[in-house]
Amino acid sequence: MSDFLISSFTIAGIYALMALGLNLQAGWSGLLNFGHIAFAGLGAYATGIVIQAGGSGWTGALVGVGLAMALGWAVARLGRQLGSDYWGIATLAIAEILRTVATNEGWLTGGAQGISAIPSLFDGLPRPWNAVAFLALVLAVVAVAALALRRVANGRFGRALRLMREEPQLAACMGYDLKSLKTRAIMAGAAVTALAGSLYAHYMSFAGPDYMVASETFLIWTMVMIGGLGNTAGVLVGVLLVQAAYSAVPFAKDFFGFGSDLAGALRLGLIGLILLACLLWRSEGLIPEKLRKIPA
Amino acid sequence: MTAVSAPLLQVRSVAKAFGGNRVLEDVSFQVEPGEIVGLLGPNGSGKSTLLNLVTGFERIDQGEVRFEDRRIDRLPAHRIVDRALGRTFQLPSMPTKMSVIEVAMAAATAHHGFLDTLLGTRGARDAEVRARVEADALLKEFLLTPVRDLPSSALSGGQKKLLGIVCALMGKPRLLMLDEPTAGVHPNLRNDIVQALKRLNAQGMTIVIVEHDMHFIREVCSRCIVLDRGHIVASCRPDELSSNERVLQAYLGGGRAAAESEKVPA
Repeated sequence: MSDFLISSFTIAGIYALMALGLNLQAGWSGLLNFGHIAFAGLGAYATGIVIQAGGSGWTGALVGVGLAMALGWAVARLGRQLGSDYWGIATLAIAEILRTVATNEGWLTGGAQGISAIPSLFDGLPRPWNAVAFLALVLAVVAVAALALRRVANGRFGRALRLMREEPQLAACMGYDLKSLKTRAIMAGAAVTALAGSLYAHYMSFAGPDYMVASETFLIWTMVMIGGLGNTAGVLVGVLLVQAAYSAVPFAKDFFGFGSDLAGALRLGLIGLILLACLLWRSEGLIPEKLRKIPA
Repeated sequence: MTAVSAPLLQVRSVAKAFGGNRVLEDVSFQVEPGEIVGLLGPNGSGKSTLLNLVTGFERIDQGEVRFEDRRIDRLPAHRIVDRALGRTFQLPSMPTKMSVIEVAMAAATAHHGFLDTLLGTRGARDAEVRARVEADALLKEFLLTPVRDLPSSALSGGQKKLLGIVCALMGKPRLLMLDEPTAGVHPNLRNDIVQALKRLNAQGMTIVIVEHDMHFIREVCSRCIVLDRGHIVASCRPDELSSNERVLQAYLGGGRAAAESEKVPA
């Protein structure tokens, strides 16, 4: 049971990082990134490939973050001529292209089999302490990322992002370069998300094309929307809630005695239901974005 | 005006068309330092387009725009603001999730990047304090202190216009361009705007105002430029407007007889 809880929280923590990255882009900057999972995929693959080539996990994570930021830069530049919704479709397409490349370039990525035998961190520790140590690492990274991103959002840079999200024209006439703001927001979100991908590769000892399916992006979107777009605490609550629903399904399966394929469908159905309920009754999420207090 | 100082703003032979619709043709004028210039004309005469062209929100097709004797007509809007040319919008809309003070602070000149904000560098912290002090001072001057902590979208139309002026002033402009600052504004508030603009001008601010309200123009402006169907038809003192045939033509489509029955300032 404790193994199960540790595993659930570890995965929740990794998703929390991705959700925080998406919140920086979608929540504060209003950018409809539907290809977010590509950044995590780059982090996971870079870790796998670098380690396979004899590099260290740190190098892998750094390479992943660097590649994701480069992709973020390119995606943001691509968006210059497109309206925000069309740009969203383009991001989805780019993530799908990357997934297809990962599936087919077997010499680099192991193709559909992916890259296995990525060493998990803390292998030297006895069970279950290795898992506990990994969980602690993930939670520490989440805490640092959450605090740092909240600080950015409340400060001058975040203020510019939030103004751009709602009133781009006003932001432009205050002297903000909107293209540059968008680019930096996407790159920062990409970096955090690639780190999550790298951690995931270590945790699963594996990196494969399934990490990059589009439904993963929408799962992250669901977490952010249920919790509260634009609110760091809300995003974390949304991640926990969705992860709890995911983790509860196996128990329901045992209790009611239905099959595995039904359990999988039930998972997705449950998430859909929660999202629908949120959209109907709490369209801004469980913990909506608040006005920031600025004392005189 | 004065031959000593160069014009602050020069617009030379500017033309702009949207599709086949030629909105501005061969428009030239200049604004001297210290002036308050009224830009008027009937609906569709091209006033707002002219303002958008000068501030970089639209590209000109022909001609050139110079500010402080440097060409600005190829610069993007945000670069023109950096040259100290501020503007407001005719229908200002304000963000729902930001308070009035936050919007004003966002308009402060010193922009900081991701890392400055994240690390809270000394420069970033100092700039933040300065922005807050300046924003509070301007909000007070424009009577917005009571609504300081409300969502900026909750302000009335008139208050939003005031906040728009506050934002423009946060950028410390040397030329301020206002798009209909008093349209739809309550008379009391309108008076406050008049006083505020006169005060700013007394401190040396050059102002260009797009406006319909003749009384406002007469009260505030030192000179008027009248546009009609994309052409400048007059450039004169406000008190000369009513005796200018071409202005009457533009506004009333008729001659003197019509003018006497209408509300044109005498």
